[in-house]
Order: sequence, then structure tokens, then C-alpha cells
Amino acid sequence: MTSLESVVRALRGSDARSSALSYLVHAALGVAIWFGTLQVAARVVPVERRIQLAALGVPVVLAAVAIAWIARRPRPDVLIQVADVRLGLKERLSTAWERRAANGVMDDLLRQDALQHALRDRLVRAFPIRISRREAVGVVIVAAAALALAVLPNPMDRLLAQAQADRASQAKAASTIHDVQKKIAAATKTAPVDSKVQKILSDTAKQIQDAKDPLQALEAISPAEQQLRQLSDPQTPARTSTTQNLAGALSTTNAGKAASVALSSSPSQGAQAVRNLAAQLPSLSPEERVQLAKALAGAAQSAKDPAMAASLQRASDALSSGDLAAASAALNDLAGQLDSLQDQQNNDQQIASAINGLEAARQALAEQADRDAAGSNPATAGSGASPAAGASPAGGNGNGNANGNGNGNDSGSGYGNGGSGGTGSSGSGSGTGTAAKPSEKLYVPGQPVPGQQENDPTPLGPGQDVPLTPYTQVIQSYQQAALDATNQSLIPGSERDLVREYFARLGE
Amino acid sequence: MTSRLVIAEEPSAGPKKVTELANNLEAELARLIVGQKELLRDTVIALISGGHILLEGVPGLGKTMLVRSLGQALDLTFSRIQFTPDLMPADIVGTNIIREDSGRREFDYQPGPIFAGLVLADEVNRATPKTQSALLEAMQERTVTVGTETRALPVPFFVLATQNPIELEGTYPLPEAQLDRFFFKALVPFPSETELLEIARRTTGNALPELHVIGDADAIVAAQRVAREVPIAEHVLRYAARLVTATHPNRTELDSVRRYVRYGASPRGLQTLVLAGKVRALLEGRYNVAFDDLTAVAHPALRHRVFLQFEAEADAITTDQIIDEILEHAKKESPGS
Repeated sequence: MTSLESVVRALRGSDARSSALSYLVHAALGVAIWFGTLQVAARVVPVERRIQLAALGVPVVLAAVAIAWIARRPRPDVLIQVADVRLGLKERLSTAWERRAANGVMDDLLRQDALQHALRDRLVRAFPIRISRREAVGVVIVAAAALALAVLPNPMDRLLAQAQADRASQAKAASTIHDVQKKIAAATKTAPVDSKVQKILSDTAKQIQDAKDPLQALEAISPAEQQLRQLSDPQTPARTSTTQNLAGALSTTNAGKAASVALSSSPSQGAQAVRNLAAQLPSLSPEERVQLAKALAGAAQSAKDPAMAASLQRASDALSSGDLAAASAALNDLAGQLDSLQDQQNNDQQIASAINGLEAARQALAEQADRDAAGSNPATAGSGASPAAGASPAGGNGNGNANGNGNGNDSGSGYGNGGSGGTGSSGSGSGTGTAAKPSEKLYVPGQPVPGQQENDPTPLGPGQDVPLTPYTQVIQSYQQAALDATNQSLIPGSERDLVREYFARLGE
Repeated sequence: MTSRLVIAEEPSAGPKKVTELANNLEAELARLIVGQKELLRDTVIALISGGHILLEGVPGLGKTMLVRSLGQALDLTFSRIQFTPDLMPADIVGTNIIREDSGRREFDYQPGPIFAGLVLADEVNRATPKTQSALLEAMQERTVTVGTETRALPVPFFVLATQNPIELEGTYPLPEAQLDRFFFKALVPFPSETELLEIARRTTGNALPELHVIGDADAIVAAQRVAREVPIAEHVLRYAARLVTATHPNRTELDSVRRYVRYGASPRGLQTLVLAGKVRALLEGRYNVAFDDLTAVAHPALRHRVFLQFEAEADAITTDQIIDEILEHAKKESPGS
């Protein structure tokens, strides 16, 4: 020990060692508190990636403690003052240090005296390495508590799993919609509404992904479907029907056979065939012209589309009067309408693809929403008591709509697997258009039958375990529901007629 | 005054010489004064600090003996003034008398007993305030003005005043401002039984111990100069200031001080603490002032500078108890504690 500076260096090293251990214990306590707090918080609110968060806290705490350790290193004068008191040096060192550059009468003597006494004492004694027992016990207690909390079952884990499943289902639904978008984009036949369909699908996929849960995501699908349906031309079924009638009428004529075949194939081919027919009119025999005029007149009478009916009637009248030019012009008008019909059918195909995609997404989301509901309220789920249970048209029959176009009911459909009572709360399910397998849950329209209260339990029939409703009370509403569902451009008119006929026969 | 030690012949004494002088002086006084080590230490500190000391104790405890012994050991001129109610200022500081020489009359100054290196003002509270003031002014200014002429008192000039804490009837307690002029107020405790026996043995024989001369005026003055050179660290000085500040009821958080103290110590109290601390450091063989030095001199330096409320008297609280609390509180705040 040759100088006061070396004394300070020795004291600084001694203090650094002593305080480092102390700060390490602080760090251990901080880490234990962090773990414990995290575990407690994870029992109050769902905390994802707890292990990563806990691990993240360790370097943070260590860094904070290290910074505090460095920042709070005592100045040399403070260090020496503390050493003076702890070593009983009677302020020799601190006074000498303060006056290390002074040249007073006693300063030399003072410095020598201070160094002599510093030599006599082991400076490390000023800053002994020791751990606070209280703090060590605190570390052990907090660490044990944190460990216990980590090991014991956490009720929030189930919620976390549910949230993950929710996100997965939403991601899957969005992915399904993206697939449909790609498919539409890659289609060989482009439709005028493609860009609008793509935008609606993109918006819906985003809404689904941004929704907080599948239930909220489901709410985005019905408006999207509605928007898609609005893109469809309501006259398309009438034109399709007229085209089919025309094909049937032309098949009975010699001149129109080729056109009949083409019309049956597709409106665009039909349009070309009608133009060819218009060009061939001068070469037709008078009998053939008469025959063709009659066929066109018949088709005009049964036509449901006014424009096409007018064109057909004009063509027929012109032929009958021998005005071939006017007949040719009318047939060319008809060909143009058929081209337009082709565009409309293309649109409807794209719209139908989009709706199918949305329905697939709805299926995924609805299943997850059901699982969530069953998980959050097992008693309700187990009873199967939704308002439409047993009272919906499809209740327990498994006869879902098989047209594949997603023509389910948008509002409040029930959980139609044959519940045992009709006293549950409003169902949250939604209609789907997929064909039902015998064992599959089926979503069907859920409005209560007119005149029936939601909480009005229907009496059970003798020996039966499902509620029964008199046939006459439900047939009208079922018919209306079925016709409403089929009253869409996506469903061919002939198919709709079949439904109408079915209910008419039932009424008889 | 038969023998002299070498120390007194070295006016430019170093710190070690001062330590030796003080220790020898204490040892010499202890040959005559039984026990009272603290009193002896306080007296020596006050002497080397250049301050005056007020001794308080019941009669017969050796106060006068102490002062007389000190005079012998230091080879200083010594005078004793017995204060009584009819003592006049002129009886202390001296007076001009008319002298007739060859038919010519002129005033001739006759110095009073205060013109001595060592003055014992016995029972100082028995004189009237006017007379007390004459003494206390001389103590402060170290000069005496009679008529139009100011005369310097000898150097060193050291007053030891005594007062009796009992028999207060017919006394004039020293006012606060004048008490402040005493460097120390030392209490002279009643000796223990062992000390009593020793006193009896020493003083009832035929011969009393004869004291050696330890130093002289020059040695004392040199020691006083050296003592002022003792360095004090900034944080130790701040500690002294904290002690003094803590005696003020409106500047401390100590309940006892706020409740019982009327006025705290003056800045002279701080000067006394530091200077006495320096001397004590030398006496301890150190070249710096330590917290311990300040703690050791806090009672004699502050006890006559802290004035208590009536409530303290009612609760039998003494200034020493208050100072003890202040010291205890300050100890907790010092570094490393």
C-alpha cells in the first residue's frame, strides 16, 4: 500500500465484490417476483407464451440490476468515509483523501498516519461479502410460490386453447375464401362481376381475420352473401327458361334443329346458331318458314322474359308476312339477348363459387362457435334446447338442402338435431347449403312456426320423444320458406317449379 | 516552581509536542486532583483552544484546587477573584487612582486581578450583572478599557469561572448571551467512594504533592496555534453543523428538541465544537478531527448554549439528555452506520 490511490483501488474492488453479490441476490429476488407476478396474472387474465415472457424477464431484470450496480457505485470519497467508520479509522483516510493535494502543516503527517492505519487494517473488512438473510429467505419464499403457481392447474389454460382454436378457425375460414378468390381469378371464363366479387371476398376475409371470435366473424358472412346475390341479374332465370322453351320449340322444326341443339348446349352457342338461322332464312322453303314462324310464336307465348318474347314475336310475325329482312333482324336481336344471357350465367357461376366459398368458411366458423359455446356453458349445450330445436322444418330429419349453393336461411336458424325441448335461448347457428349426411348436424331455418311461441313447449305424441306439430299448422310456413329459399336467380326456374309442385301436391 | 520541562522551551512546537504537553499537563494535574478525568480533559482542551471555562459543581469538589494547580503546572500568573454581590467592576479590571508626586497630582492606573494569565472567577453568579459584564467583556475582548485607555490582557488569558448550582438565593444567574462567551461549561461531579478515599489519603497528611512546571505561556500560545492547523474533513465539518442545527427546535425533526428546547446553540457553538474537536484530536495523537472528537466535546461545548423550556424543567429533562438524543440521531445518519 503505497498511496491513497491504491487504498481507494483496494476499497473499490472490495466494495464491487461485496455489492455484486448483494445485487445478484436482488436480481434473484427480482426474477422470482417477476415469475410469481406472471403466474398470478396468468390466473386472472389469459397470458399467452408465458414461458417466453418469463424468460424475457430474466435478462431484463439482470440488465436492470447490472445498470443499478454500475450506476450506484460509490464515489471514492464516500467509499473512504464508509471504510473509515467500518474500520474504526477515525476519519483518518477520508480527511487524508480530501487533503491529498494540500500542503498544510499537518497534511504530510496526516497522510502518513492514515496510510499506516490502513496498512494495519485489512481493507476488505470494510466491505465484507455477505448475503442478507432476510433477502435470501424472501427469494426462496417467492421462488417457491412462483413454482407452485406454475405447477398447479391454471383455469386460464382452457381459455387460451379456445382462443387459439378460434384464431385457427378464423384463419382457416379466411384461407378458404382466399382459395376461392384464386380459383375465380384463374377461371378461363371471365365474368363482368369478377372484380366486385373479388373485393367482396377480400373484405369478408379481412373482417373474419379481424373478428375477435368466430361468432363475430360469422356476422360478416351473411352481408357478404347478400352483396354477392345483389350482383346477380334477377331476369336470368326468366331468360334461361325462355331459352329452354325456345330450344324445345325449335327442335320440332327442320330449320331450327341445329339451333335447338346449340341452345340446349349454351346460350352463346345458341346465339351463334340463331344468327346462322337468320342468315339462312332466304334459303328456307315456304313450308319451313311457316313451321319456323309457328315455333317462334309458340316460344314467344311461353317466354317469361318480355324482351326475348318481343323479339321472338317480331321474328314470327315477319316470317309469317314474308318480310325476311325484318325476321332476320329480330333473330339477330334475339342472338344478342342470348349473348347477354351467357354473360349473366357466367356472372352467376362466379357468384355461386364465391357463395360456396363463404359457406365453407361459415361451416368452419360455426363449428368452432359451437365448440366455444359448449365449452363456456356445458349445461346449455348439453340440453340441446335451442328455440328451433324440434320446431324447425328440418328438425331431426337430416334432410338438408342439397343444391350446394348456400341457400341457407340467414337469420337465427336453430340447432336442428332434434332437441328434447323448445325452451332454450335463441340459437346462434346459421343455415348452410351443403348436403347433409345422416349423422351430420344440420343448420336449418330457425324462425318459429307462425302462431307458436318460443317458450311454448309442444306436447309430445304418445310414445314419442320428439315434439310434434300438427301438419296443417306448419305446411304453409314451410312452403313459404321453401319458395323464399328457391326464389333466387341461382336456382333454375325448372327446379323452382319442382319445389312449387311438391308443395302443391302436399296441399292436395 | 522548581523544575521546567523542555517542551515549554520550544515555542514552535509540532503536533506531537502539543500532544505531549497536553498529556503531561493532564498527568501532572492528576497527581493532585483525584479522579475528575473528564474535567481535567475539558480544562486542558479549553486552555489549548484559547477559550474560557465555566465550572459548575457544589462547593468542596476541588474547583479552586484545579485552577490553582493549573497555574502551578503552567507557570502562569494566577489570580483569584471571589465574586460577591458588592464586588464592583473596578475591583476586577482595576482603576485610576490619584498619585501625588512632587506636588503634582496625576492619575495612576492600578491593574485589577484580571491582569493574570490564569484567572479564577469564583462563584461568578454571586456578583451583580454589572460586575459580571465587566469580567465577561474582558474575557471576550481580551482587553480592558479604564477611562480612555485600553490595555491588553496577558497572553494567554484563561478564565475559569465557577458557579454553584445550589444556594441560588441572592445570586444573579448569568444571562444567555454571556454564557455563550464561555468556551466550555464543565460539570464537576461528586467523586466516587474510591476517589473520596484517595482524596482523604492525599490531603490529610503533612505534605501535598508539589507540581512540576509543564509549560509556560509561550508553550500554550504555540499549542493554540498548532491546534488550529489540525485539518477537518468536509463531511466531519458538516456533521458538526448538523449537531448544532439539530439543537434548534424549528430546524430538527427530533421531538424532544422541538418540545423542550427554547433556543438552540449559536454559531459560537459550532466554532467551539470544531476547535475543541481539533484539540481533542491532538490529545488523542491524531492529525485530523474525527466524529468521535465532536461527540466527546459536544456536551461541554453545547450544554450552556441550549436553553430549555419550562416544560423541560417540569419533566426533569436536562440539556445533556437533549444533546445525547441529538448525538444518537446524528450517529444514525452518518455514513457506514
